[in-house]
Amino acid sequence: MMRVLNILVIGALVTAAAYVYQIKFESTRQAERLAKLRTEIRQEQDAIAVLRAEWSKLDTPARIQQLAKRHLSLAPVNPRQFDTLRNLPERPPDLVPPDAADPIGSLLENPDVLEVPATSSISAAPRAKR
Amino acid sequence: MQSPALPALGVPEPWRRRLVRNLLYGKSVDRSVKARARIGLAIAVFGLCYAVIAGRLVMYAATDNTTVRRSYSADAVATARPDILDRNGEILATDVRMPSLFGEPHRIIDKDEAVELLATVIPDLDAAEVRERLSSRRRFVWLRREITAKQRQEIHRLGLPGIGFMHENKRVYPSGPLASHLLGHVNIDNQGIAGIEKWLDSRGLADLHLAGLARDRLQQPVELAVDMRVQHALRDELIKARTKYKAQAAAGLVLDARTGEIVSMVSVPDYDPNNPREALDPTRINRLTTGVFEMGSTFKALTLAMALDSGRMNLNSMFDARGALQYGKHTIHDYHGQNRMLSMPEVFTYSSNIGTARMALALGVEHHKQFLRRLGQLDRLRTELPESAEPIVPRRWQEINTVTIAFGHGLSVSPLQAMMANAALVNGGLLIPPTFRKRTEEAAIQVATRVLKPETSEKMRYLMRLNAEKGTARRADVDGFYVGGKTGTSEKVVNGRYVKNKLLNTFTAVFPADRPRYLLLVMLDEPQVIAETQGYATSGWNAAPTAGLVIARIAPLLAITPRFDLPPADQLILASAQRR
Repeated sequence: MMRVLNILVIGALVTAAAYVYQIKFESTRQAERLAKLRTEIRQEQDAIAVLRAEWSKLDTPARIQQLAKRHLSLAPVNPRQFDTLRNLPERPPDLVPPDAADPIGSLLENPDVLEVPATSSISAAPRAKR
Repeated sequence: MQSPALPALGVPEPWRRRLVRNLLYGKSVDRSVKARARIGLAIAVFGLCYAVIAGRLVMYAATDNTTVRRSYSADAVATARPDILDRNGEILATDVRMPSLFGEPHRIIDKDEAVELLATVIPDLDAAEVRERLSSRRRFVWLRREITAKQRQEIHRLGLPGIGFMHENKRVYPSGPLASHLLGHVNIDNQGIAGIEKWLDSRGLADLHLAGLARDRLQQPVELAVDMRVQHALRDELIKARTKYKAQAAAGLVLDARTGEIVSMVSVPDYDPNNPREALDPTRINRLTTGVFEMGSTFKALTLAMALDSGRMNLNSMFDARGALQYGKHTIHDYHGQNRMLSMPEVFTYSSNIGTARMALALGVEHHKQFLRRLGQLDRLRTELPESAEPIVPRRWQEINTVTIAFGHGLSVSPLQAMMANAALVNGGLLIPPTFRKRTEEAAIQVATRVLKPETSEKMRYLMRLNAEKGTARRADVDGFYVGGKTGTSEKVVNGRYVKNKLLNTFTAVFPADRPRYLLLVMLDEPQVIAETQGYATSGWNAAPTAGLVIARIAPLLAITPRFDLPPADQLILASAQRR
């Protein structure tokens, strides 16, 4: 009786020891992985910082200006080149209602739309062809 | 353990075992006493072992183990600083990690060999100094701060004992000298010693560093009001102007009239903050905050605003400019002498010294002094920048001082301060302390003080515009942006005397003048007469055209829509006068 109990207890002890060892081993492994990942993150952050610094160095307006002068034929913007949307001419009225089933037929039905005077810069003629 | 217990039970012992026992221990030895003593000894030894283990555990837990395990490549000595961004999020200053070389003299075996090998990798290493450092009795010495990654690799390969690397944060300014005076710079330990960098430290960053916090780079970046594109355009034009007019120095400032944000600040010659040694050169000071100047005729705008705001004069008041103004033993002349009665707009456009002097005299010394104090011209202006200069105010302010200060002589202020007052003249009468940080209009109104009536400000805008249409500021006008401005030419004081050919030219511009968004200051120090300026060296011939070029470049960047349908200033002045 006692012997069986002893054997059982010893067995339990060995299992427990093995289990504890496994946990400890696993935790060490995880800790190492964590430390490794931390250093990697750190290195990546450092690399990002270096690249960002590099980027903004290449992005400096002075450098861009030099390059633009050498390679592009662009000139500074003239104030006259700006305009507002308000100054755009009105869109001419549609010759054909957009939901017409038979566009040509509706043109024939309503012939005076073709007489729209071309007041704006966009002439009505090319639209009629469509 | 079974054998000593057996005889006590009275069970006969097998004869073989008895024989062994008698041979080993003798016949009459009490085994049980001996056994107990042995057990006691075993308990004591094991107990001691566990006590030692427990003691060590407590020791490990209690002591800081950083000194125990300093690895080969340790970390961060110089502390991290937050990035500095411009108003569009472009990087102005950032941290980059750089390895630094150190030595632990007690661990170095052969000092001469170490020095020799290091010198092969770092050619400009001072061998004598390094040898001396390695021979010191200290446990830690710096050998070289900030080496390149390649050098680090090579030294690593040399495999010298007692030589190691630490990664330190190094401050870099990718845009170089672009915003040097504004940003300032740091020392080798990454502590701010000038400009915004110093302000960052004074704001608690230094304390964080001391506490060992603020080590990593994940700190909130600091956003400034400066716009890098505007900064570059201004600097580029100022450098060109400085070469063209052979000026000693040039400076420029763009101020948001409604929020007090400093969108751009340039003072050339400047320096590269990556190489802070250049900053020690006294010609490279920031003229806009650390210098005080007699602002010359640009100050007349303040005098006119004072006259209009007092309610005792209006735009139609006439001033006697028929001859020079005699005051005591001083005679005040006009540069563009008209020798007739001048109305207030004429006083401004002809930049009449006599007219402005008469205005100030009519209002009295006390009124003048109080007005300038209200506009912050008599006290030191403090911004985020640690560098600031105290205005030079006459010790005894008499009528003659009022006369000269009315047209900008005899009172030296920092240009930034003068611009703050100019902003108040045109933005509706609010004095907003300028700032280098981003600020909304609402926040600006919180800190603003009303110093002028809105009507006065309205009149000032149109006077400024009128001056750009028909006055001295004509060459600054840019089609479509409705520029207003005032020129200023003052003679510099050398050894207590005004010198005729040493000029300090200033130009303040406001655009668009009907709804002011931005103010621009251009300052040229000792510009020379060149062929193009027809023998003149006054502000209207050099500072004003420079301002025009700057505005043409920066106004589109600042999202100001050009308009070509605005009436001339005359009609606007009339309209604003009739509305009342």
